[in-house]
Amino acid sequence: MHRHRRHRAAARTRRRSAPPLRFLLPSLVMVALMGLLLLRGLVTNEVFHDSRVAESVDKTTVPRHLLTGGPVVDSRHGRQRSYRPADRTVALTFDDGPDPVWTPRVLDILAKHHARATFFVTGAMVSRHPALVRRIVAEGHEVGVHTFDHPDLALQSDTRLSWELAQTQLALAGAAGIHSSLFRPPYSSRASALDDLTWPVVRKAGARGYVTAFIDTDTDDWKRPGVDAIVRAALPRHPGEGAVVLMHDSGGDRSQTVAALDRLMPLLEAEHYRFTTVSGSLGAPSAHTAVSGFPLWSGRVFIGFVSVSVALLPVLVALLAVVGGLVLARFALMLALSFRHVRRTRADGFSWGPPVTAPVTVLVPAYNERECIAHTVRSLARSDHPVEVVVVDDGSTDGTAAVVEALGLPGVRVVRQANAGKAAALDTGLAHASHDLVVMVDGDTVFEPSTVRELVQPFADPRIGAVAGNAKVGNRDTLIGAWQHIEYVMGFNLDRRMYDVLGCIPTIPGAVGAYRRSALAGVGGMSDDTLAEDTDVTMALHRAGWRIVYAEDARAWTEAPQSMDQLWSQRYRWSYGTMQAMWKHRHAVLERGTAGRFGRVGLPLVALFTVVAPLLAPLIDVFLLYGMVFVDLGRTLLAWLAVLAVQAVCAGYAFRLDRERPWHLVSLPIQQVVYRQLMYLVLLQSWITALTGGRLRWQKLRRTGEVEAPVAAV
Amino acid sequence: MTLPATAPAPAGAAVPVAPRPESGAPPSGRDRYLDLLRALALVRVVAYHQFGWAWLTLLLPSMGVMFALAGSLMARSLERPALHVVRSRMRRLLVPMWLFGAVAVGGMVLQGWGPGSGGGTRWWLKMLFWVVPLSDPPYPSHLPGVDGILDGGWAEQVAVPLWYLRAYLWFVLLSPLMLRLLRRAPWPVLLAPLGLAVVLGSGWIALPDRVGAAATDFAVFASCWLLGFAHHDGVLRRLPRYVTPSVAPFVLLAGLWFAVDHQDPESGYDLDGIPVAQAVWSFGFVLVLLHLSPSWTSWPRRLRRWSGVIGLLNARAVTVYLWHEAALIATVPLIDQLWRFPVLERNVPWLLDSPWLNFLGAWPLIALCVVLFGWVEDVAARRRPRLLPWPRRSAGPGTVRGHRGGRRRQASARAR
Repeated sequence: MHRHRRHRAAARTRRRSAPPLRFLLPSLVMVALMGLLLLRGLVTNEVFHDSRVAESVDKTTVPRHLLTGGPVVDSRHGRQRSYRPADRTVALTFDDGPDPVWTPRVLDILAKHHARATFFVTGAMVSRHPALVRRIVAEGHEVGVHTFDHPDLALQSDTRLSWELAQTQLALAGAAGIHSSLFRPPYSSRASALDDLTWPVVRKAGARGYVTAFIDTDTDDWKRPGVDAIVRAALPRHPGEGAVVLMHDSGGDRSQTVAALDRLMPLLEAEHYRFTTVSGSLGAPSAHTAVSGFPLWSGRVFIGFVSVSVALLPVLVALLAVVGGLVLARFALMLALSFRHVRRTRADGFSWGPPVTAPVTVLVPAYNERECIAHTVRSLARSDHPVEVVVVDDGSTDGTAAVVEALGLPGVRVVRQANAGKAAALDTGLAHASHDLVVMVDGDTVFEPSTVRELVQPFADPRIGAVAGNAKVGNRDTLIGAWQHIEYVMGFNLDRRMYDVLGCIPTIPGAVGAYRRSALAGVGGMSDDTLAEDTDVTMALHRAGWRIVYAEDARAWTEAPQSMDQLWSQRYRWSYGTMQAMWKHRHAVLERGTAGRFGRVGLPLVALFTVVAPLLAPLIDVFLLYGMVFVDLGRTLLAWLAVLAVQAVCAGYAFRLDRERPWHLVSLPIQQVVYRQLMYLVLLQSWITALTGGRLRWQKLRRTGEVEAPVAAV
Repeated sequence: MTLPATAPAPAGAAVPVAPRPESGAPPSGRDRYLDLLRALALVRVVAYHQFGWAWLTLLLPSMGVMFALAGSLMARSLERPALHVVRSRMRRLLVPMWLFGAVAVGGMVLQGWGPGSGGGTRWWLKMLFWVVPLSDPPYPSHLPGVDGILDGGWAEQVAVPLWYLRAYLWFVLLSPLMLRLLRRAPWPVLLAPLGLAVVLGSGWIALPDRVGAAATDFAVFASCWLLGFAHHDGVLRRLPRYVTPSVAPFVLLAGLWFAVDHQDPESGYDLDGIPVAQAVWSFGFVLVLLHLSPSWTSWPRRLRRWSGVIGLLNARAVTVYLWHEAALIATVPLIDQLWRFPVLERNVPWLLDSPWLNFLGAWPLIALCVVLFGWVEDVAARRRPRLLPWPRRSAGPGTVRGHRGGRRRQASARAR
């Protein structure tokens, strides 16, 4: 216990001294993705959207003359004046656009009649359809601000009001290079409808330099009352009178609006009406001002980001579907194939052939393993199979060799070499091995008495060149240990069974594996070309035509890293090493026979499941976060729980196959929100290393010697 | 146990009552981690009472933490005869409260509060709760106040901390029973109060106000108190270490969910207004804190510079807790005086308006209260009373502050 504490503290100090730069790039990518998602949500009214509408209230604070005055209210600089359009003038206004379907049709009709109109656009729609705004402006129409995402401003704060206006101007600047000083509040109607809640909005807009345009006649076209009704409603109540007419060019099917417009305009033209903008109908100059310099460029950048974010979403969703499909397909494949594997290997009367009783050489490469090596060697000496143990001391500086020699166990030899790496140590050991069957054990691993025997039984089949054992986490009491325990149990009972059935086990774990010495000699022994010499040699054996199988009862208890730092370096080594080994053996794809089978089935599966899928996994988290915060907490959580349930089922099955008690599965949900992310960060770093060609120095796992003896066989 | 035998364990006080090994026992090593938690919880309480930010109740559920720490110490004390322990605990709780009550009730009476306004015999009976707070002591909701200096609601504000003493008293009284139950069936007993909190929170049972308040506070914090027991008894250590970090987040999530789902129109998700959420969140939070529990027998290097303040806060926890509202009230008229300086009024009106000024200003006043009233904690614990029990540090690198503290302590001892 005490040892443990000190150990953790040491890890903490070390982490502080090295700034976690490795988190920077992935975090930036995640933040950028999140930002783009948010931006898209903003312009599609998915986030920050507020659809509440205020009830109408008293009008005690509204100046009386405004209530009875014209539809255009000038409240700038403390003014309180309203204006009416001139006689025989109609200012057609279209709210809520621009819309990619209906706005062009409206524009076409207006052009046919050489008419001008005013479009009260929302910033969100402008950001999504900037080209339409450019066309509106180019064809001489006027643009007014109808807020960014159409909230009832009477219910919003001053900050929100300012933001709504400024953000819309930003979008207008980016889309068409203009700002507009004309404003229409959402959910507004005639000036006579101003009340104590809406009047302050007009005042505040005025204080920010806006003229507010209400209406004279409301066509109610958004209710789709029929073309006749719209035309009737749009006609001025008294012939000859000027009017500001409200129509909508967005927000649903506007075919009635378009049809009504096409009939309305000739009717009014016949009465010598002219169609102009709101400003024009008052005889005022245009509300537009051209924008240049910084506001123009920031607007363009904003519009650019919006178009990227809008275009990106389908891509992200497709990728997410790919990841989801891969994850589920992997689970399904694992479940089905491990079921088959178990049915075969646990069937009555299953055997690999006649019992293998030939003596075995056990190789233990060791580098500074003083803490654990005694446990390891003693457990090997207790084997119920005849063994010769060769400990290869790879230039340890902590007296590892002396520890082994002091044990004085019969049949245990120590071979010393200058520090040259694990692959070289194994080759040295091979040179000293007396027997044809060789078992390799890490210096931090403890065998059960039956492990060696179980491990070599498959060699009864002469086609089998190597056997993978079942490595188990011994120190599983801590959270990080429990996570690795779950991972190991699933990896050995689902993944490895699946690969076994497919005949392409990609890795014989360094902790527990058995080889024919002749097979190893055929591939030139162990190699230090990669950081994962175990994966490398396994792939080489496949290419040499050997079969490799999994012996589930050959259990070895290994000490898992107990700090995030150590775990990180271990996994980095594994994942980068696997990538190196896959690259080294890439030509297997084109080869014949067993090698080709491995190259065309094993390599793509490993690439897909362990190299590509995890790279896309952050998408799951980004969408999860976005969905929870901005879309629908309940449904998002439910989807997440469903995936978790699938995982729990698989894990539960794996635990049952391994005859493990399921208590550790209580850590599974938390594993999904911490551990998985860590693993893809590791993978990302491996990718970066692979792409930049960086080199990895050897990182030694700090040992605590906690795993002492095989836990009594279950 | 790294404290040399010659250095007395810094005048130790639990919140609110210090466990102190009987005289003659070897000096017991204090768990500095628990001391740190207690100090943080106290600062958090003062901050919350000044700012009223709801998120503070989530950031650190102070009352749950304090009850858990007290429970842990109570379990340690209960290795001795229960009756003796309970009596000594009550003494250490009640004596400081009597001093506080004498000042507070004296002030209320001076402001014209009396049996007339409350109703004769009943008033006098209720006044007994100022002596033994089995239920909330009475106080007037409105008083004349002092124009421009003291708000009329001061009695209500001063009385805010009293519920804690009431709850603490009940926990002390019931502890021998609770400890026996916990040892019989740890986990059902640990979780039972949460169930009780849910039942009481649902309103299925109609209880009279006084009983209801006491029962609710008991139910809300009993799980924390019992977690303190469990911590001391090693119940938590017997659990595999992966269990707590795997389960606690979901307990916290449940509490958070309940809080968000039962928001108060005014205070929002403030846990103080949502007992069930308070109970669940505090339980989960304390579970995590006790799981982490690194058992520091000496201060980690980075905390060493704070050891004096933390030690003082621990030694005078009851005093700080009882009097901090009074200190906060007193900052208001003091800061009002600053408005009379045109320089300040003209240049930094935002500062004078800021609640931070009250918060910062309260600490010197709390220190004053510690000097004026803190000694009674020593009296209640039958210790030599001291004015400012700044803990003396064991010799070691960088003990300059320690020496200064030591000198000050001697000076204050002489002043007596």
